[in-house]
Amino acid sequence: MSTVTLDAMPGMGAAFARALVPSRAKDARVPAHEVRVPGHRQDVARLADYCRVTGFTLRDAVPPTWIHVLAFPLHVHLLGDADASVRLAGAVHVSNAMTLHRPVSLTERLDLAVTAGNVRAHRRGALVDLSATAQADGETVWSGVSTYLASGMRAPGTPDDSPHPPFAPVTPHARWRLGSTLGRDYRRVSGDPNPIHTSRLAAKGFGFSRPIIHGMWTHARALAALEQRLPAVYSVEVDFAKPVALPGTVGFHAADAGGGWDAAVTSRDGTKPHLLMRVRP
Amino acid sequence: MSHNAVVIGGNRIPFAKAGGPYAEASNHDLLTAALDGLVARFGLAGTRVGEVAGGAVLKHPKDFNLTREVVLSSALSPATPACDLQQACGTGLETTIYIANKIALGQIDVGISAGVDSASDAPITVSDGLKRALLRANRARSAAERAKALAGIRPRHLAPQAPGVAEPRTGLSMGEHQALTTERWGIGRTEQDELAAASHHHLAAAWDDGFFDDLVTPYLGVAKDAILRPDTSVEKLAKLKPAFGGPQGTMTAGNSTALSDGAATALLASEEWARENGMPVLARFVDAEVAAVDHPGGDDLLLGPVAATGRLLARQGLTPNDFALIEIHEAFASTVLATLKAWEDEDYCRGLGLDGAIGTLDRARLNVAGSSLAAGHPFAATGARIFPTLAKLLHERGPGSKGLISMCAAGGQGVVAILEAV
Repeated sequence: MSTVTLDAMPGMGAAFARALVPSRAKDARVPAHEVRVPGHRQDVARLADYCRVTGFTLRDAVPPTWIHVLAFPLHVHLLGDADASVRLAGAVHVSNAMTLHRPVSLTERLDLAVTAGNVRAHRRGALVDLSATAQADGETVWSGVSTYLASGMRAPGTPDDSPHPPFAPVTPHARWRLGSTLGRDYRRVSGDPNPIHTSRLAAKGFGFSRPIIHGMWTHARALAALEQRLPAVYSVEVDFAKPVALPGTVGFHAADAGGGWDAAVTSRDGTKPHLLMRVRP
Repeated sequence: MSHNAVVIGGNRIPFAKAGGPYAEASNHDLLTAALDGLVARFGLAGTRVGEVAGGAVLKHPKDFNLTREVVLSSALSPATPACDLQQACGTGLETTIYIANKIALGQIDVGISAGVDSASDAPITVSDGLKRALLRANRARSAAERAKALAGIRPRHLAPQAPGVAEPRTGLSMGEHQALTTERWGIGRTEQDELAAASHHHLAAAWDDGFFDDLVTPYLGVAKDAILRPDTSVEKLAKLKPAFGGPQGTMTAGNSTALSDGAATALLASEEWARENGMPVLARFVDAEVAAVDHPGGDDLLLGPVAATGRLLARQGLTPNDFALIEIHEAFASTVLATLKAWEDEDYCRGLGLDGAIGTLDRARLNVAGSSLAAGHPFAATGARIFPTLAKLLHERGPGSKGLISMCAAGGQGVVAILEAV
């Protein structure tokens, strides 16, 4: 695989504007190369802001979702490539998995790299995986896979239609009140400029009556709720079941799962899932 | 039932100037870092500790349960209870006394005392007028009543309020109060600068010796006290302009503590618990005393600890010579110097109700590993910085070595405590 190495983290504005232009291609295509930024320096002030918005305590050891945020501009950059027919702006983030291989300090410089692949059929379009790694001194310290659904696109193969396991309603033991400015707050710390999270008009354009909060905010907030109950290193998977409209109120439920956690962000009454999360050591 | 309350150790983060490397961190963040460092150092992850007592002087209203929230963010068992205490700059020592007393009474086996302050993240509140109008609107039962309440808001109500630095009853800042004391006790510029230089040199030497290796955990890329200036000197300090006491004043930014950010913790237990759990035992908590002066009536604001020291030594039958080491919190260099002069002053001590002068201190025993002028002074953290530091210093000097801590605090208060090496 060829690698394109960038000197610095690319801006997302232009790439995102390109990504908003609808693709006329029907076949889901992603670039074959890797995009990499070496020696990325983490910014304490931005991490502190990220922690304030998501509920984490500002520690030397950074949250794994923070490393996802660091790598995200590379996802946007990669799919802004001429070879890509999949557009991130219209794609739906359906699930995410990441592994913290060892605690990562905010003082470490990270080599971040992303690739796209595993294009496969889905009954509503094509699924594509955006994979990222963070290395420190040649050691992989974090890796993540973000799975997006490109609605209406085609991919080879038979749709993998394994249905979601049925969701058993829970009694939430926490209630989060999400304010109308949360989308702007998370845009500031994540850099994700997708207007679907901040503008009612843009949200309507994508079929939502109100802006929806970024799935990765909900993911981060759910991890932050568990905080020190999390193992020192772990893998975490989430399914984004249903977007959360802003402003809104959601419920949270977590249960010990033998050293890990099964957690859910639900409707206020606990009957419908927004996000299902599994943490395993 | 009486138990020996002993100091097992402590942990803090390096202190730093306000607006510096911890500018983005909250009290919650700072204290969690210090506490988790302590938990890691003594293998307490998942342990239910009897109680954690902490506090902050500059505290946001939303942090009403600051220490308990920090416990929930830490690796301690979530079943660990906590409370917040506050006694101005005496907070970190008062929390330690609280925990030591509970251990001595057998109410808990093991506890953690703590203090934290962020001058960078000081609470900004709304004016009293705005607050009252909003509360009235909140209580209103009709739209008309609510509108009437909100109509009471005036432009002057909208300015945000920074936390007060002045004594509420005198309107003088702490530095201005201390300038009066400096003048009254005839404390000169050179002796203040000498004390400040010694503080920096002592702290620098302790860092160089690795003394703080088991007392400090790095945070946000800061591995060492960031205010410390190892290369400062009396000559360099002499060049600074007066900060308090007018153009002829002797108090400068160099011989006054800087506004600081930081957090500190101390681990205490009954001697039995410490031995059963294979923990080091540095020193035994002996006794403590608090006192206050009538500064609205003209008394020296920061000499509250003198009466506390006199009463405590009388109760214990001790004199300054019985202490191997003495820690006097360096709010200002002149506070320490005025305190020592007051100890020697027969009339002043009798005026406090003591039987006579407390005595003279051998200066070689004072703040031997540096103190607040060099380390910085995140208000509530300082007591919890000094306590384990002194316990370790005494332990190095051998069993039976006694140490005294003297801390001045806003409101004309003083907190003092005695430790004895085990």
